[in-house]
Amino acid sequence: MEINWGLMFSSYGAVFTPSVMLLIAVGVTAGIVIGALPGLTATMGVALLVPLTFGRPPLESLSMLMGIYAGAMYGGAISAILIRTPGTPAAAATVLEGYPMARRGEAGRAMAMALFASFFGGVAGAVIMTLASPLVSAFALRFGPVEYFGLAIFGLSIIISISGRSLIKGFMSAFFGLLICTIGFDPISGFPRYTYGTMELMEGPPFIPTLIGLFAVSEVFNEALKSGVAKSVTAKLDQYLPSWADIKYCFRELCRSSVIGAVVGAIPGAGGDIASFISYGEAKRASKNPELYGKGQIEGLAASECANNSCQGGAMIPLLSLGVPGDAVTAVLLGAFTIQGLQPGPMLYKEHIDIVYQIFASMMVAQFVMQFIGMAGIQLFARVIMVDRSILTPAIFVMSVVGAYAMRSNVFDVYVTLAFGMVGFLMMRYDFPLSPILLALILGPLAESNLRRAMVMSGGEWSILFTSPIAVVMMLLAALSFYLSIRKHQQIESRLAEMEVEFEKNLGESTESPERPA
Amino acid sequence: MPADVIMKIGPGFFPTILASMLLIFSLLLMLNALRGKSKGEVPPLRWSDPAVRRGLCLLVATAVFCLALKPIGFIPCAIVFLFLMMLVLGNRKPRALLMAPLIVTGGIWLTFEKLLHLELPSGILAPLLG
Repeated sequence: MEINWGLMFSSYGAVFTPSVMLLIAVGVTAGIVIGALPGLTATMGVALLVPLTFGRPPLESLSMLMGIYAGAMYGGAISAILIRTPGTPAAAATVLEGYPMARRGEAGRAMAMALFASFFGGVAGAVIMTLASPLVSAFALRFGPVEYFGLAIFGLSIIISISGRSLIKGFMSAFFGLLICTIGFDPISGFPRYTYGTMELMEGPPFIPTLIGLFAVSEVFNEALKSGVAKSVTAKLDQYLPSWADIKYCFRELCRSSVIGAVVGAIPGAGGDIASFISYGEAKRASKNPELYGKGQIEGLAASECANNSCQGGAMIPLLSLGVPGDAVTAVLLGAFTIQGLQPGPMLYKEHIDIVYQIFASMMVAQFVMQFIGMAGIQLFARVIMVDRSILTPAIFVMSVVGAYAMRSNVFDVYVTLAFGMVGFLMMRYDFPLSPILLALILGPLAESNLRRAMVMSGGEWSILFTSPIAVVMMLLAALSFYLSIRKHQQIESRLAEMEVEFEKNLGESTESPERPA
Repeated sequence: MPADVIMKIGPGFFPTILASMLLIFSLLLMLNALRGKSKGEVPPLRWSDPAVRRGLCLLVATAVFCLALKPIGFIPCAIVFLFLMMLVLGNRKPRALLMAPLIVTGGIWLTFEKLLHLELPSGILAPLLG
């Protein structure tokens, strides 16, 4: 599929209107704040703010969500650098270099680089998305039920293999999520399942309320069990852009991490946290002096932050072209598309190509807005971390309830949110990863309906699953990812433990330095 | 299409497989635990721990909030909930306790009702809000 340049320019024109630009700015600001607050992730931010976009035209609503996504990916670095707590899981690798830098009194330099690297990665990701997703969608037009079933299995296998510390618990989360999606009308015969005669459950558990419960309300319960002492930030932030020397020094890492981020993002199931860890590891491996890593090496910071933003563009590729989300945030975005009456997938390119190009444009613009707002508000965002948790936590709950209620004006959805909040809290407490549920909620119906459609086509012959080379490759990849995760699990865990020990040691050394933010 | 082909892999097929897999994996998990190979310990919830009491308060309050939302209405529910929860979570600043619930509730209500035209339950304030 060719890129339609005329349409591309007119899409940029559509984005550069006051109302859309304002919404992107609102989204980016909200995203940075959400990202900066530990415990509030990009997934939760998008889920919590999707209700704000009900009833807006698709371009406005999707641009705002793009802004939130971009902002939150950068925002995670703020608390990672300043208080040693990653604001989002995707900023975990940023802590390793960012916090030692802040300890050395270089918080300003670290923050400036984090913002620039996020911007660089975001732009690179958006470019890759613009170029790659039309190609993927043209390829996907040939997909039938068998291929989609294979794709769903592949996506699930990835998310199960990489999330959480226990493979068994990852599996259980995914199966639980898949089981939840069987509630409601059966996709082929229309038979209602597990509804107990409840009208509200006929179409399955409502998607957005379920997500708000799992990702926002669970965090509210979690927060109540913690001692709510806010850390104070005293570091001086005196730099808005990284110095030319720093950019030149990190340029190779920025390019490498942009590509790694976009590729990891494009794999269904793998998201920003994995992208930033992989490119951090690669940066360390390629570095001439890897022994400096963990002690405030600006390249490592740039690699991690760049990758988690370029992952955004990557994750949009399978979402737009296949209808399969690339990571947890895009899974929520899929819900937002559906509310707008848009079904991502190859048909979106046929029926709503204008919207697709507007999404490309708004994502690109969101990166520039992020760089601008990030520079303008750097002092303010650093203070956000100190917000009073005793106000924030109950306020998030109230927001969650309102968000769940607003779409259908139905109090039943509020109960769903509360119930999934408790489920999510218990799962987090006992180390069951939540993101497999999210992916399962989307991939489950895809897997089931396509498998059964294939079975109807073949008259119940299982061999049809092996007639398509694409599907066979995807199922083999799924098997491979399970195999690798079983074998490598031990290894990765010991490496993570090693990194933790090393990090603590370096921290102990740098505590003696005079520059010491409380 | 003959019905038997559709029903061969019918509505019950997927749930049955999923439920059995869930069972198998829970058994595996239990087996691992019995063999002492569990990963990590979770501190048990004790009544004497103030954090647990805080969490329980929050749990009850959220349930009451959800149940009261429709009959009593969003504005009074949210104000009372926010005020009580700030107390439970240890906020003792009188100015914050008085102002924050009003500001947060007002902000959310104005955003949803006036900006986005999405309706929130008006409850007992219905005659006032029209």
